[in-house]
Amino acid sequence: MIRTAPASQDGLTIVPHATCTFCGCVCDDIELHAQGDRIVRAKSACSLGESWFKYHTAERNYPDALIDGQPATVDAAVERAAEYLHAAHMPLIYGLSNVTCEAQRGAVSLAELIGAVIDSHTSL
Amino acid sequence: MGGKVSATLGEIKNRADFIMYWGGNPAECHPRHFTRYTLIPKGKFLPNGRKDRTMVLVDIRETASARAADQFLQIRPGKDFELITALRAVVKGLPVDDALVAQTGITTETLHDLARQMKQCRFGVIFFGMGLSMTRGKHMNSAAILTLATELNAFTKFVTLPMRGHGNVTGSDMVMRWNTGYPFGVNLSRGYPRFNPGEYSTIDLLVRGDTDATLVLGADPGATMPQPAIEHLARTPTIVLDPKVTHTSKLARVHITTAATGVSAPGTVYRMDEVPMPLRPALKSPYPTDEEVVLKIIEAVNRKAPFAPRAESMMRTV
Repeated sequence: MIRTAPASQDGLTIVPHATCTFCGCVCDDIELHAQGDRIVRAKSACSLGESWFKYHTAERNYPDALIDGQPATVDAAVERAAEYLHAAHMPLIYGLSNVTCEAQRGAVSLAELIGAVIDSHTSL
Repeated sequence: MGGKVSATLGEIKNRADFIMYWGGNPAECHPRHFTRYTLIPKGKFLPNGRKDRTMVLVDIRETASARAADQFLQIRPGKDFELITALRAVVKGLPVDDALVAQTGITTETLHDLARQMKQCRFGVIFFGMGLSMTRGKHMNSAAILTLATELNAFTKFVTLPMRGHGNVTGSDMVMRWNTGYPFGVNLSRGYPRFNPGEYSTIDLLVRGDTDATLVLGADPGATMPQPAIEHLARTPTIVLDPKVTHTSKLARVHITTAATGVSAPGTVYRMDEVPMPLRPALKSPYPTDEEVVLKIIEAVNRKAPFAPRAESMMRTV
């Protein structure tokens, strides 16, 4: 049986069969070793995948949100974003390549709601 | 890309004895592609792994991937469409003009040998990269290579797969396809989906200045797009959702920090062969996920007046 639940010992969390989302290969045989708020080891990952996992930490390095370059709360930023998107005649939703399918599905609903063009890296 | 003849990477691992990479450099861009999915693994019908497979690389320069290839074909830049078309003709046994073939950088003899190898294999696969789909000819090149693979099925089993770069770019094609019927560049401004690459693709829209607000999710166009497109993003309201404060965040009016996909955000991601994979994040982020923020924006927009009549207001009770 494939063990998928994370195991924890000495403050080290081991996640077996983790999935790497750096490139389109989406390798799902990575063993992640996490300590505190960073990944210290990515077993089986290639050099690109390893640096991807080590580069993204769970530290609070950035403000929750920025409005016109000034730190703001998420709720205020969401409200401002909704105002801009609602007021626009021809809004665009772009990117989507580094987010989950669940977020993409939300983005399509939002595009339908505001009458937007929705596009990804595929069109580049 | 509806209508392509495709297979999963698992099927390719177990069956493919002829592997072609066209306009891609997996050794450096997809480092585990050879070892995990295509060249090296022993398959059900290829018990000797690498020894049972033939690999041909087509590119405009000799990249690191050429060392893994049995045959490297260096073609002239921008001649992909011509070469594919000539190859399609040779595969069908039609005459080709030697002088026209020579312009692609490949001799007619090599072309005939290639066509023979492709027709004689048991299971062939063509992986095509951005060196094919993003050069002169663009989507016409992709269409040509998909047609070549389809036509080869008159002789043997042949499939084709694009080498997708970003983690879940395949997922965005899938999600947009099952929601709108089209894979990318979908315009919903009339309340129903319209698809026209070149007209509704991001760079074209931004360079022409057609849009008046942009929501950027998990991308950094401020660092990668042509200057006129970046200027338009700075001129109009731009909203960025990203785990980092990016170049685009700096020119945007609103930035919201989100959890990193796969590292601290759970969900589903599609592999390049359109197989969905669950994520197993190892960390807990202090930030919300992209999905949570998008749903919050939807809620906030829903509190405002609709831009088009909503279905329920159009319905009449008889």
